[in-house]
Amino acid sequence: MNTLTDRYLAATLRSVPTQRRDEIATELRASIQDMIDDRTGGGQDDATAERDVLTELGNPDLLAARYADRRLQLIGPTYYLVWLRLLKLLLSFIPALVGTIVAVVEAAGGKGFGAVGTGLVTALEVAVQIAFWLTLVFALIERSQPTMDLPDWTVDQLPDVPAHRDISLADTIASVAMLVLTIGYLPFQHYRSWVDDAAGDNLPILDPALWSFWLPLLIAVLLASVVFEIVKYRIGRWNWTLFGVKAVLSLAFAVPVVWLLLTDRLLNPALGERLSWLAEGDNRNTLGAAIAVGVAAVLVWDLVDTALKTRRQTA
Amino acid sequence: MVASLVALRRPDYGYALLQRLTDHGFPVDANTLYPLLRRLEDQGLLTSEWNTEESRPRKFYRTSDEGESMLGRLLDDLAAVQTSITGLIQGVDR
Repeated sequence: MNTLTDRYLAATLRSVPTQRRDEIATELRASIQDMIDDRTGGGQDDATAERDVLTELGNPDLLAARYADRRLQLIGPTYYLVWLRLLKLLLSFIPALVGTIVAVVEAAGGKGFGAVGTGLVTALEVAVQIAFWLTLVFALIERSQPTMDLPDWTVDQLPDVPAHRDISLADTIASVAMLVLTIGYLPFQHYRSWVDDAAGDNLPILDPALWSFWLPLLIAVLLASVVFEIVKYRIGRWNWTLFGVKAVLSLAFAVPVVWLLLTDRLLNPALGERLSWLAEGDNRNTLGAAIAVGVAAVLVWDLVDTALKTRRQTA
Repeated sequence: MVASLVALRRPDYGYALLQRLTDHGFPVDANTLYPLLRRLEDQGLLTSEWNTEESRPRKFYRTSDEGESMLGRLLDDLAAVQTSITGLIQGVDR
C-alpha cells in the first residue's frame, strides 16, 4: 500500500519516539479515516477528501514535533537575550584583537602590506567561529531539560543614555576611509602608477623630489585629519573649536597642493616627456589652474557647509 | 486544554471530540488536538482505552481523577480572570 495516507503516516512517524510509534500510527490512521469518512459522507469523492484531510493536518514534521514535544526553534525566548548579549560582547573585541595580533606577527615576519589582508581574513574567521560555537552551545542548552540558573537582569546592566549626536558613525567611517586611502595612495603612486617610462620602469605621477619635504608634510596633515575625525565623533557634535581645527587642517592640505600645482612642481616632470599632451606648457598650466580652482572650490564649499552646521548645532 | 478536559468527562475518541468541541464554539486544529491528547495522557490527566468493537480500532480518552483536580484549579483561575475583567469593565464605565 502506498496511498497518500500511508506516505503521510510514514513521514510523521519517522521522527516520533519508537516505543510509541505503532500506537500513534493506529490512532492517527483511524482519525484520518474518520475525517475522510466525514467528508465523503458530505458528497466528496475519496481522493479529494483524502487530499483535503491531509492538507488540513499540515506539514508532517510539524505534527511529529507536536507529538514528540520538540523545540522548533534553535534558541528560544528563555536564552535568546543572553545569547545575543554574549555574542555582541565576544564579537566586539576578540576578532579585532586576534586579527591585529596576527597582522603584527605577519608584518614582523616581513610580509609588508600583505599582513593587513591576512589580519582581516583571520578576524573574519574568528568572528564566524565565535558565532557558530556560541550558537551551538546555546542550541544544546535549549534542548537539555533542566533550566539553567542564569543571572537575573539587574538595573546595573542599563547602558548609559546615548549622547545626542549630530555626527553619525557612518560619516566618520567614510571620512576616515577616504583619508586612509589618500594616505595610502601617496606612496603607492610612487611604485605603481600604470605609467611607464621609456625603459619600461614605473613612472611616479607626483614629482619624486617632493618626498624630501612636501609629501611627508601632506601625509602628516592627513594623519592629523584622521585623529580629528575620531575626536569629532567622540565629541558628537560640531563646535567652534572643532570648526577652527578643521579649517586649519583643510588649509594646511589645500594651500600647499594649490601652490605646488601653480608653480608647476606637483607633477613629475618626467611625466611630461611620456605624455606629449602634458609636455606643452599651455596645457600644463591650464590643467594646473583647473585642478587648483577645483580644490579651492571644494575647500570653500566644505568650510561654509561646516560653518552652517556648527552654527545650527551650537544654537 | 480546559475544554478538552471538560468534554472528556464523557469518554470519546479523537475525531468525535474534535467535532464536539467545534460544535460548542471551540474550533481546534486536528494537528493540535491529537498531540495534545497524547500529552495530557502522558501527564496522567487523561486515561485511555482501546475500543475494538467498532469498524476500526479507536482510542477513547477520559478525564482522570488527577485531570479532574487540575481542571478544578484551571476553572478557578478562569473565574478569577473573568471577575477581574468584569470589575475592570465596570470601573471604566463609571
